[in-house]
Amino acid sequence: MAADKSEVLQGTLDLMILKTLQALGPLHGFGIARRIEQLSEDVLTLNEGTVYTSLLRLQQKSWIASEWGVSENNRRARFYSITKRGMKQLVVETENWERIAAVIGRVLALEAKA
Amino acid sequence: MTDRALTFVAKLKALFVQRRADSAFEEEMRTHLEMLAEKYEREGMRAKEAARAARRQFGNTTLLKQRQRESRTTMFFANVWRDVRYGARQLAKTPVFTIVCVLTLALGVGANTAVFSVMHAVLMKMLPVEDASRVFYLHTTGYPDGVSQTGDSNTSFSYPIYRALREQSGLQEVMAFIPMSSSGKAPVRVGTVPEEAAGDMVSGNYFRGLGVGTEMGRGFVQKDEDDHTPVAVISERFWASHFDRSRDAIGKTLYIKSIPFTIVGVAIKGFEGTEGRLALDFWMPLQSRPEFNAWGNPAENGMYLTKQNFWCMKLMVRTASGVSREQAMARAQAVFDQAAYTGVRQKRAGDKTYQISFMDAKQFDSQDDSFARALKTLMAMVCLVLLIAMSNVVMLLMARNASRQREFSVRLALGTGRREMTRQLLTESVLLVALGGIAAWAFALGATHALGSWAQIESNLQPDGTVLWFTLSVLFLLALVFGLAPLRAAMSSGPEMVLRSSATVSQSSSQKMRAGNAVIVTQIAICVVLLVGAGLLLGTLRNLLNTPLGQKPEGLLVFGVHPQHAHTKEESVAFFVALQQRLRTIPGVESVSMAANRPGSGWSSNNAGVLVDGHKPNGVEPEQAIFRGNAVGADYFRTMGVQVLQGRDFSDADSPSAPKTAIVNETFAKKYIGSLNAVGHIFSDPKGADPSLIIGVVKDHKYTSITEEARPMLWTVFTQGGAVNQLNVEMRVPGDPMAMLPTVRKVITQIDPDMPLLEPMSQSAVFEQSISQQALFARLAGCFGVLAVVLIATGLYGTLAYRVSRRSAEIGVRMALGAQRSQVVWMVLRGSLLLCAVGVVLGVPLAMAAGKSLESSLYGMKSLDAASYVFAIAGVALVALLASAVPAGRAANVNPTSALRME
Repeated sequence: MAADKSEVLQGTLDLMILKTLQALGPLHGFGIARRIEQLSEDVLTLNEGTVYTSLLRLQQKSWIASEWGVSENNRRARFYSITKRGMKQLVVETENWERIAAVIGRVLALEAKA
Repeated sequence: MTDRALTFVAKLKALFVQRRADSAFEEEMRTHLEMLAEKYEREGMRAKEAARAARRQFGNTTLLKQRQRESRTTMFFANVWRDVRYGARQLAKTPVFTIVCVLTLALGVGANTAVFSVMHAVLMKMLPVEDASRVFYLHTTGYPDGVSQTGDSNTSFSYPIYRALREQSGLQEVMAFIPMSSSGKAPVRVGTVPEEAAGDMVSGNYFRGLGVGTEMGRGFVQKDEDDHTPVAVISERFWASHFDRSRDAIGKTLYIKSIPFTIVGVAIKGFEGTEGRLALDFWMPLQSRPEFNAWGNPAENGMYLTKQNFWCMKLMVRTASGVSREQAMARAQAVFDQAAYTGVRQKRAGDKTYQISFMDAKQFDSQDDSFARALKTLMAMVCLVLLIAMSNVVMLLMARNASRQREFSVRLALGTGRREMTRQLLTESVLLVALGGIAAWAFALGATHALGSWAQIESNLQPDGTVLWFTLSVLFLLALVFGLAPLRAAMSSGPEMVLRSSATVSQSSSQKMRAGNAVIVTQIAICVVLLVGAGLLLGTLRNLLNTPLGQKPEGLLVFGVHPQHAHTKEESVAFFVALQQRLRTIPGVESVSMAANRPGSGWSSNNAGVLVDGHKPNGVEPEQAIFRGNAVGADYFRTMGVQVLQGRDFSDADSPSAPKTAIVNETFAKKYIGSLNAVGHIFSDPKGADPSLIIGVVKDHKYTSITEEARPMLWTVFTQGGAVNQLNVEMRVPGDPMAMLPTVRKVITQIDPDMPLLEPMSQSAVFEQSISQQALFARLAGCFGVLAVVLIATGLYGTLAYRVSRRSAEIGVRMALGAQRSQVVWMVLRGSLLLCAVGVVLGVPLAMAAGKSLESSLYGMKSLDAASYVFAIAGVALVALLASAVPAGRAANVNPTSALRME
């Protein structure tokens, strides 16, 4: 089972969280974890706890903000939302990722021909 | 970059909400786990199973909490604290090393701080006045003929000049101040006990012009000067010592020279007047009463306010804002050129022009170059000492870190980062420097106090902010050097080092050896310089102490007396004659006499103009015949222990009504009479007036100080001279002169309760004080020399001992191969003697250069004094031998078998 799952690449979790928050608006940690699980279609292994490490990091950089609120099933939970700085950063990171992905794609394609 | 900054700020903030953030995160985690478990339950798991699955999916909560905590706040402080604790443990483990380092630093840095703080106070510190850049002392290059002048020739001005400068020069303020007496002090009384206090008589604008505020009450105003109001402002120190800082001090009466003055203010803390080394206790507005003539001069000779050619006022100026120093000076010069000739013969063509100048408003308006030079020399010496101390500690640290190489490589092998190791070593050094710094500051406080009292500076010298900055920057520099220099030695050890045998390690690189040798050689060279300097200065001190004085100061008590109620010449003479009679009756007193100028204090009357029997004195132009004089009492030479060669001493018979008499010294007799047979000749001034009969010739003896050359001297008896307002009483008593003081005080109080004894001391102490500056200089130099030697001994010992211990394997092999003990000992000794020789060769030329610059401070010594050089070289060699004896002995006792088995 572990063999067909991939580790989350360093730094990509931050990007995924930013994008999730941008797309879905304010969410709590559990919601973010569910969303990533859903999107990754069980391909990625993720200790859900690591989401919080990432959230803290993003918050320290002021890319996201948080406030306490009440969840859909009436629990007190911390809701995270993307900030203006975060929006800008998301654009930059997305471009970065696409560039790298493109380069890697080209390199892999080359190998296949040879 | 900004992201990083934001992160750092966030982390810093988090420091203060640590606990709250912890519990908040715990709650967040719990919620997440619960929601996850609920999700699994909905998907069909049993409650227990769901909770377990949720925990699995979430990951290790404890670890996460720890990580969260670490990244939430900065670990910087925690790490530093850990390093400090570790460093302290390491230092405590090697107490001898730590103590040696801390003491070395304390002495090196402390001596620097102390000398710097004195130097700073004396040479650099500005007066605590408002906008000091516009305040200046006024100086002149000279004064016209016919001026009667008191105090320093370049700082004295007349009342007309003061008025003219105030009214015409366009200076914003001209402040005048006049000392109470030549010692600066006057008799005062607050309660019942009379004492001496230092004070100035000042112009009404003194406090306002300087911009010096008051703790309470008021400063003076112009009206105080115009009306000569009997009011006084006291210093904060006097307020504290005499009124216990009570607010009631205002309005109290301060008796100055028996005249009541009302205290109207307390000067702001830190302001101690404008008299340099003398800290003032009180100020009063310019007075017109005869008791308060300038410098305590007899009013009979003319009051400073009315006698136009009496130059006695010291002046300070404040320039108007927007006017440059040069412009202001030029305008003042023009006014001065006119006013200087008030009351004296007008300037003639060809006469010299006297230039005035503005001097910076420093705490010390000091023209005393020798003191400045001595301080600079001392500063240079302590810098050298610090250099030695520093290199010593560096070598000790390097040796220590090198012997800890195993520890380092084990730690590297276990995964310590190099950065962490560096930070850790730096922390240890900083810790060492901090400990040394604290000890140094304590040492400096004491040393500064001692320096001040030895140099007879009463004003405040204690280290201030500037000095603290100086010390801190020295310490910072040291911490940097100590941190970085030994790093290389420590870092050169890779993790693989553990695996190597110590024999290979012991082949320490020759490069490292050379660096160590260079340091030792430099230290020895510096030591030679310091020792030669100390030798020269101590030789000077020895010469000073052994100079024959030509008199017997031992057993003599001396004190000044200033009668309060004797205003005319007759009254004062009668007073002193009666005083002499009364003091003679004290049991145990052998003889009593008096002198206008206290011998050994540096004061003298310098006169010119001699006719002997109405003729030119022995072919010298009468105007050119200069001599020093003193007015003394009956029995003077017997009391002082000076041998009378011919004729007789003064006696009670030399009264005001008797024919005028004089006594001369050998030099006077030989120079102006031509032979020692001077008795019977008549001495008079160049006009032939005021003749006196020479009744005795005495042996040459010291008058102003120990260092003076023999000069023509002439003594007259005070009863036959002009008005005397103060005399020094000389009393010969058996045993300790100071023991007689209480009895004398009682007798004097009976005569006048308001009359304190002025500067009572033993006559020997007066002469000692005349060389106190040289003595202080020499003793300090000696101390620094000894200090340098001790430092070098420890440094050399440490280095050699370390080297021998590292070479024990090699020595073992040598001995196993048949080397004799003596050969091994010689091998070690040879090394250190060689270093010593190189150091001496380098040090001697340096010492010669240093000696050259010391020349002006020497007395009876040449700068190339062979004895001093021999003493220095022998001292260094001896130290080198002693320091290497123990390591050499240890090397000789290396047991070859055990040394080799250690491998």
